[in-house]
Amino acid sequence: MDSEWKEKRNNERAKVEELFCYEGCKVGRGTYGHVYKAKRKDSSDIKEYALKQIEGTGLSMSACREIALLRELKHPNVINLQRVFLSHADRKVWLLFDYAEHDLWHIIKFHRAAKANKKTVQVTKGMVKSLLYQILDGIRYLHSNWVLHRDLKPANILVMGEGTERGRVKIADMGFARLFNSPLKPLADLDPVVVTFWYRAPELLLGARHYTKAIDIWAIGCIFAELLTSEPIFHCRQEDIKTSNPYHHDQLDRIFNVMGFPQEKDWVDIKKMPEHGTLMKDFKKNNYSSSSLVKYMDRHKIKPDGKAFMLLQKLLTMDPTKRITSELAMQDPYFLEDPLPTQDVFAGGPIPYPKREFLSDEEQDDKSDNKKKVFMEQSWTNQQRAAATKGGGGGEPASKRVRLGHHQSSIGGQQNFSHMTQRNHPNQQQHPGHVQQGGMMNYTNTQQSSNFNQRY
Amino acid sequence: MAGNFWQSAHYQQWILDSQDLIQERRPDLEVLTEEEYQKIMIFFTNFIQQLGETLKLRQQVIATATTFLKRFYARNSLRCIDPLLLAPTSVFLSSKVEEFGVISNSRLISTCQSVVKNKFSYAYTTEFPYRTNHILECEFYLLESLDCCLIVYQPYRPLVQYMQDLGGEGEVLQLAWRIVNDSLRTDVCLLFPPYEIALACIHMACVVHQKDCKQWFAELNTDLDRIMEITRYILNLYELWKTYDERKEVQALLQKMPKPTTQPVPR
Repeated sequence: MDSEWKEKRNNERAKVEELFCYEGCKVGRGTYGHVYKAKRKDSSDIKEYALKQIEGTGLSMSACREIALLRELKHPNVINLQRVFLSHADRKVWLLFDYAEHDLWHIIKFHRAAKANKKTVQVTKGMVKSLLYQILDGIRYLHSNWVLHRDLKPANILVMGEGTERGRVKIADMGFARLFNSPLKPLADLDPVVVTFWYRAPELLLGARHYTKAIDIWAIGCIFAELLTSEPIFHCRQEDIKTSNPYHHDQLDRIFNVMGFPQEKDWVDIKKMPEHGTLMKDFKKNNYSSSSLVKYMDRHKIKPDGKAFMLLQKLLTMDPTKRITSELAMQDPYFLEDPLPTQDVFAGGPIPYPKREFLSDEEQDDKSDNKKKVFMEQSWTNQQRAAATKGGGGGEPASKRVRLGHHQSSIGGQQNFSHMTQRNHPNQQQHPGHVQQGGMMNYTNTQQSSNFNQRY
Repeated sequence: MAGNFWQSAHYQQWILDSQDLIQERRPDLEVLTEEEYQKIMIFFTNFIQQLGETLKLRQQVIATATTFLKRFYARNSLRCIDPLLLAPTSVFLSSKVEEFGVISNSRLISTCQSVVKNKFSYAYTTEFPYRTNHILECEFYLLESLDCCLIVYQPYRPLVQYMQDLGGEGEVLQLAWRIVNDSLRTDVCLLFPPYEIALACIHMACVVHQKDCKQWFAELNTDLDRIMEITRYILNLYELWKTYDERKEVQALLQKMPKPTTQPVPR
């Protein structure tokens, strides 16, 4: 490498610590790295940003995939990568995003605490519907690009706070690291404590070898139910999750306790699942004969003849081949019924949720956070009670609190090449759904495509 | 990522203009003729191909690595980074992007050593000089020069799709595929969208196999002038190959190539 050229490049390179102020502003810590709330030092804009320092040094495969894909993905409901900083000296990789003040984990926690305190949270009637609609739209976009999320859970669904994108959903933390392996091996690779099984589709728990779009849809169903009731629908104790075995008896038991045991006619291919033998050995279907999603939701005051319930049932369909797609789900009558979904999920009303708190910068707190988390999950019900008084608790560690957000982006910014024939675009042809805009929400069309260059 | 090419960073940032390309290469073209420059690029494309095949990489990974190398030198002089270092670095990066799996550092270095020794002794008389730390350092500079655009669209997929539509025999597809591989030794991957390159290669393969494709191309409603332009680039390569013996000439070319100064300039 030419030393003069190198020196020139090193002098020209923008350094993250020179451009941004983030010291003492850590808002998240996890297996992915550290996330800081940051502002520009030169105050050329006063916006808040999220700076993510990727765990480890150099360019791991997951960092590489994350950069490669985020660089291409542009959708109002998917987190938008603003910039990458490569710190040559310590070989650290930093990603810059717009800051998202809220996420569904915190929002649901807030509602649960209020419920336990017998207080009501003042939010608009359509908020859950708007959240679900935007989650579906983001996932529809990812799926149309053959990007699977693989790790959907409330903590990964961000919501923008006050600002130009107020109340907009941003899907974050796609499971880039898990793109190349079999779906289950990575469970063992990750910090076992951070893995949650509550949003895992039954086929994964029965040993399915590949991630699919349907697996993401199941997770959305779980999140929808949790939004409606403030309880994780498939909550389950998680003690022995260090196992790399996908089969998880307690989690399946919980699903059957809510849903009932799958009837043969409902899920014909269940016999072909790798762990079907174990399932038959371990479970007696008669134990679940009194369970059904109707009854579960009815206990939580969600009426089985309502449109919300009917859509939930389509999302939480046991047989992955019969589960609804994101595209069809967006056309569901639920979204045509009053109140209609809004771009700002708070529909212009006040945002009752607190802002993110800073974490202490000491390394020790990840360890203790993790321990705390195990405790939290094991003693969910206690924790629920505790939440009432302490305002804490829940199924996610403080370390997983944070997420990122972003600014204007729109699929509507796409370039118009309609004068060329379809045949000229094999890539477009492949995914006809890609261009379609969901019928209801009219995002402002920004010149996103062209802006991207300059901004980047 | 199987997204939309027209919205991709590849389309928006990395379809270059041929005049700009000449402009960017000017410092190198003060030392080398255009033909010599192309021969050096051909050599390092061959090197990547050989390295990739020895590492048993898919052609897609090899093609992406080649594109990374060409994009780097579309923005930088050959003097900035020795292509013998940038070539394995491109392979290393592309194997991660293309989900091939990380190639272990030691395997990459030892494969470079054996490829240089066993396949390219006509070009290098000394051992492959770089180590893992060089590759890792170089990777950051490469990533930076690429502006983090890592998803590269290749002509292979559109090629297969068009061939299904055209309903050609296997031999046309096979030949067209090989022409796409050859096209990596030209500038077309820097200048044209991959679907146009695929079409040009199909057209050439049809001509060789005397398959009538006039009607099919007419119905495509694509700009045939551009297809012909790509064809000219590839035909020029074949023309060059007729008289060029890499084994005899490349050592002198590598001598002549602008090289990095690794010692800081004293002030």
